[in-house]
Order: sequence, then structure tokens, then C-alpha cells
Amino acid sequence: MSDCQGLGDCDDARMQRIYEYLDGALTRDDIAEIKDHLDSCPECLEQYDLECVIRVMVKRSCTEAAPENLKNSILDRIHSIRTVEA
Amino acid sequence: MSTMDPAVAAMHEVAGNDATPTKTPDAGAAAALETEVDGKPLDLSTESAEERRVRFERDAMQYVDQLYSAAMRMARNPSDAEDLVQEAYTKAFSAFHQYKPGTNLKAWLYRILTNTYINLYRKRQREPLQSNSDTIEDWQLARAESHTSSGLRSAEAEALDHLPDSDVKRALQSIPEEFRLAVYFADVEGFAYKEISDIMNTPIGTVMSRLHRGRKMLRDMLADYAAELGFRAATESGAAADSNKQENRK
Repeated sequence: MSDCQGLGDCDDARMQRIYEYLDGALTRDDIAEIKDHLDSCPECLEQYDLECVIRVMVKRSCTEAAPENLKNSILDRIHSIRTVEA
Repeated sequence: MSTMDPAVAAMHEVAGNDATPTKTPDAGAAAALETEVDGKPLDLSTESAEERRVRFERDAMQYVDQLYSAAMRMARNPSDAEDLVQEAYTKAFSAFHQYKPGTNLKAWLYRILTNTYINLYRKRQREPLQSNSDTIEDWQLARAESHTSSGLRSAEAEALDHLPDSDVKRALQSIPEEFRLAVYFADVEGFAYKEISDIMNTPIGTVMSRLHRGRKMLRDMLADYAAELGFRAATESGAAADSNKQENRK
């Protein structure tokens, strides 16, 4: 059992670190540190896996194609705008 | 006369000054192409209105689906989302001469979309812009490499993964807007904190706390849905067993 000292004692700090890792917001040193930690801490690894699953789910669920006519409506509008020479 | 409103004008100035560098190789290649027209370097000073329109169509129109997906997280229905995207594109086109080629066009468009949403649908007063640029240099951004996971997913992860897309959308829709959008920008679009802070016009610290809280809310909500789903499944399959038990008790 790990006591998670590497990532701070409280859950919030631990999760924040995992989020930053997933968001690509850590320095190279920090990345090496958290990777080592994930290898040795089953609790954090579980949280990390869970966040990965949610991220994939959100991405999958929220990727929608715009209605066919939307692109054309936009182009129509753009063509109708009289632009001024800058 | 320009059709651009002052709010958009103000935000372009900021977006232009910040010139968020693109990081991923794909975005970098796209940015390089943006600065060329027919193989020749783009010269904004001699570009005609017609040439600019062609360039806008070439570079900006490819993001319609992505902006529509984001607009669906802002507006409550497809028709409003369409209006929103159309309005945002119209504004972006009118202000396109202010966009600096080679900087992050997608983030620029998202910023206009977000502002359009706030102006059109929310009519709320924006907070004054707080610049956080001093701290940005400290962020040595590096993409997270995917970590070798345990290979064994927890029961909770397994349960969540079975939720239908409609539940995920419903969960996201039910968390407050500023958290929802931050999560959307990070998880779906993969924008960096700095980019989200530009798009949402908030300091990076605020982006981070919105993400943290938003993800927690989302996760709790999804866990509730998964529990309901599991409960329903268990009740159905356990119905026969339960009636047997009741028989035995009699």
C-alpha cells in the first residue's frame, strides 16, 4: 500500500497532479516523477485509469458532425458580406 | 464600414498580442501553410478582400464540425447551436484581417465562438480581463505520454465505460457552464491551459480550478448514472431470485 507521499497527502493535490499530467501541463522532471509514482501506487494508477476512461468517453460522446446545410449557410453569409479593404 | 462589434475588436487585440504558439506537429504544419498562398509567402498588406475571403475559406472552414460540437455544449438545442456557429463565423470573417497567420487559428475561432455565445445568449457582463502572462513562461509544456496502465481496469472504470453517449452528454450538460466548457476544451479539443485561458478570458489558475471541480462533478454524476444502470440490471436479473427468497420466508 502506498501512502502517496510523492504526490502530496491530500486527495485533491493528488488528483490535481494527475489532471496536470493528463493535460500535458507538467515539466519533464514532473512527468518522470509521476510516472514512477503511478508504477508504484495502485490507488493513484486506478484514479489515473478512471480519468483516462472518462476523457475518452467525453471525447467520443461530444464529437458531432455539423448539419449538412450549416457550412453552406456560413459560406452564403460570408459571400454576401461586403468587406472593406484594410 | 466594418461589421465587427467592439467586444470582438477588443478580443482580437488580445488574441493577436498573445500569439499562442502552436505546439503539436500537425498544428505547426497547418500554421506554416497558413502563411502561404499558392506557394508564395502571404503578404497581408497587399491582400485583396477577395483573396482574404478565399484564405478564410481555406483555413477556417475546416473547423465547422468542431465548433458545432462545442456550440452544442453551449446552446441547449441544435438550432441555437447552428445560429451560434453561423454568427461566430460571420464575426470571425469580418475580423479576419486582424488574425495573425501562423498563430493558433482554431483557438482564435473558439474564442470568438465563446464570446459570441456570451454576447448573444447570456448577455452577461464579462469580467475584466486579467492578464497572467508573467507566469506563462514558467509552464514548460510537454504533452503527457500515455502511461502504461495496470491493464486491469477497476470495476468503476468498467461500469462507466458502459454508459451510453447520451448519459455522458446529459452529465456534462448538468454541470455549470464555466466548468462544462473548461472540461470540454481540455478533454475534447486538448487545448492547453494557456489556450483555454485565452478562449475563456480567465486566468490560468481559474482554468485549472474549473477543470478540477468540473471533472469531479462530471465523475460523480457519471458514477451515479453507472450505479443506476447497474442497479437496474441487477434488479432485472435478480427479480426471479428475490421472489424465490420471498417464497422461502413465508
